[in-house]
Amino acid sequence: MTDLDIVKKAIDWGTKKSPWIIHFNAGACNGCDIETIDSLTPRYDLERVGILKQGSPRHADVLVCTGAVTLQTRDRLIQIYEQMSTPKFVIAIGTCACTGGIFKDCYCVTGGIDSVIPVDVYLPGCAVRPEAILNAVEKLLAGLEAGDKKKGGSKE
Amino acid sequence: MSSPGRQRKMAEINNNQIEFPIGPQHPSLDEPGCFDITLEGEKVVNAVVGVGYNHRGLEKTCESRTYVQDLYIIERVCGICSHAHSSAFCMGIEELSGVQIPPRAEYIRVIIAELERLHSHLLWLGVACHEVGFDTMFMFTWRNREKVLDILATMGGNRVNYGVNTIGGVRRDLDPASIDMLQKTLDTLEKEIKYYANLAKTETTLISRLAGVGKLSKEDVLKYGAVGPVARASGVRDDIRVIEPYGAYKEIPVHMITDDHADVFGRTVVRILEMQESINIIRFCIQNIPDGPIAVKVPRRIPAGEVIIRVEAPRGEDIHYIRSNGTDIPDRVRVRAPTEANWHGMTHMLTGEYLADVPITIAAIDPCYSCTDRAIRVSSGRDVEVMDWRTLRRYGIDFYRKKGIDLSTLAVGR
Amino acid sequence: MNREEEIVSRLCGAFPFLTDRICVRQKNRIFTDPITREEFEQIIPFVHDQLGFYRACHVVGTDDGDSIGLLYIFSDQDSILLALRESVPKSDPQAKSICNLYPSIILHEREIIDLFGVMVKGLPNGPHYPLPDGWPEGNYPMRKDWDPKKFNKQTMKYEQSGEAKENG
Repeated sequence: MTDLDIVKKAIDWGTKKSPWIIHFNAGACNGCDIETIDSLTPRYDLERVGILKQGSPRHADVLVCTGAVTLQTRDRLIQIYEQMSTPKFVIAIGTCACTGGIFKDCYCVTGGIDSVIPVDVYLPGCAVRPEAILNAVEKLLAGLEAGDKKKGGSKE
Repeated sequence: MSSPGRQRKMAEINNNQIEFPIGPQHPSLDEPGCFDITLEGEKVVNAVVGVGYNHRGLEKTCESRTYVQDLYIIERVCGICSHAHSSAFCMGIEELSGVQIPPRAEYIRVIIAELERLHSHLLWLGVACHEVGFDTMFMFTWRNREKVLDILATMGGNRVNYGVNTIGGVRRDLDPASIDMLQKTLDTLEKEIKYYANLAKTETTLISRLAGVGKLSKEDVLKYGAVGPVARASGVRDDIRVIEPYGAYKEIPVHMITDDHADVFGRTVVRILEMQESINIIRFCIQNIPDGPIAVKVPRRIPAGEVIIRVEAPRGEDIHYIRSNGTDIPDRVRVRAPTEANWHGMTHMLTGEYLADVPITIAAIDPCYSCTDRAIRVSSGRDVEVMDWRTLRRYGIDFYRKKGIDLSTLAVGR
Repeated sequence: MNREEEIVSRLCGAFPFLTDRICVRQKNRIFTDPITREEFEQIIPFVHDQLGFYRACHVVGTDDGDSIGLLYIFSDQDSILLALRESVPKSDPQAKSICNLYPSIILHEREIIDLFGVMVKGLPNGPHYPLPDGWPEGNYPMRKDWDPKKFNKQTMKYEQSGEAKENG
């Protein structure tokens, strides 16, 4: 599938839903964070498919998390997750967010995002390309449409 | 929201002063950090910076991995200055081993370093414009940044954490197609950056928003030890490529860019002109790069010793300390990233500023929390009010709009 | 005489105890052997006022067995870095801050307190750095005898014997 195909598909489902995302850096090196913001810039432009980046957890449907969770951000991550209203979904962006990555054994790292909150979509990469982020959001929503109970609709 | 641990306060008002915490989650900076700020009326009277959220403890992990494994950890101290960190680490090991890497590898390291400086400064310019409400320019600069990332992906294999360095040289050579792509991209970028330079010099709306904000005098730069563009914007000659040239910089003419404004506007000017200088440096490298191998073999066991290496990362002076014990595992690895040096002046820069200028002042040092933390507060008041960063940013933009300074109305033309 | 030799000569002239304990180990890098707290406190004002090293770039903590090394790195606007190694015994890990002369060292000295357990006195009030809140007292992760495998990240407790059962 080419990049253009992915974008076309994204536009198709984007007309049906427009999820708002909130981004939280749980202890990342910023590589994945910058690529996440990149996906909002003109070349990839998530905004044209209705995806908006929000500032407050209360306004967001999807929590986009980067980084291996450090001991200091652990509680804050839980609080942000709890502040979101249902239905809410979590995407772990980057290998560090998926499993802890190369920092897994560090004394101040608990592990991936799923060591703290439930994750719906895992997106490995170092750093993750914006096309992959688009693909991840597409998969998440396709899973919702298919009524897949394993993905999405995280418990309160 | 009060959180456990650091006993964060809700905003309070005491004696006409308001205190409120900002962070650790805030949409603009995308990195966790706390700022506790004390306000009297509209002005900041005290600011305490709380970092440490990104502290992972990677230096301890480095002490149980080999040098080769540690290279990949050190590269990921920061995703934006990854090449600077990995270059410094490699240089330290090469120095301890007494190995001289091939000249062609030195030139390739410089090309990648300057491309990294270009993409970092473009990133910063976009973020700074976003902080002051000039979102059109944010989109333009980040679109231009994509071109730099395309070259880095072609030359290194990845847009971020390109992994070009290996101990003893570089992993990938330049081919004619990459050089051709590089030259074409530099020509395009040069025109764009010329436009940004002109904008910074002539656009009064932008100047009035940035000038006089976040002041740090030359004396304070020396006192608080600020580095990089923050120091150079206050007239301090602090650029490791010129003061202590390393690698191919010993043969490349580098002009140090300094400015005397000593404020956020000065930091903007320095970064824009440095982008132009980076293009000149890359062109020099392409024309003068020698032929030859790109790496030499370095023994696994590194002779016992200690070394201090300095490189000029996009944010400033990056210091690495390595102590070896004769095995293939280091005894001690320490990274002092440039942002660690720049935090000390932050309280001073924020004091006396309007609350509306807090976001751009913090953004102007180009903070990298993950560099600082492998690990800011406002106080005083009776009422409790929680203000998140987005609200604070919005407040700043509206504050200036009422004064007639509205960057959202600026047309970006060519 | 180049500038490194000149600096070494002036230091040894002012502080004879440094003779044979200071050397140029790498180009532009002057290192000292371990010196005591008292010796270090004598040298600092001279380094700042007489030698013109206006900036303390960093202090690197090292575990040297029976002692903790505090390698203070100073720079001026030239290419030379001066690295003074203050050594404090683990039996009495205390040091005096140099932040009155070098405000740029504050964050780095706080790191030494958290990570190596050296009580650096004289720092202004402020949050600790960089360890997380709730970190157990007496645990200094950068000391060689502290084993990360024995640290339970869920309970934030250090198991003295064996590895932590729940981890990561």
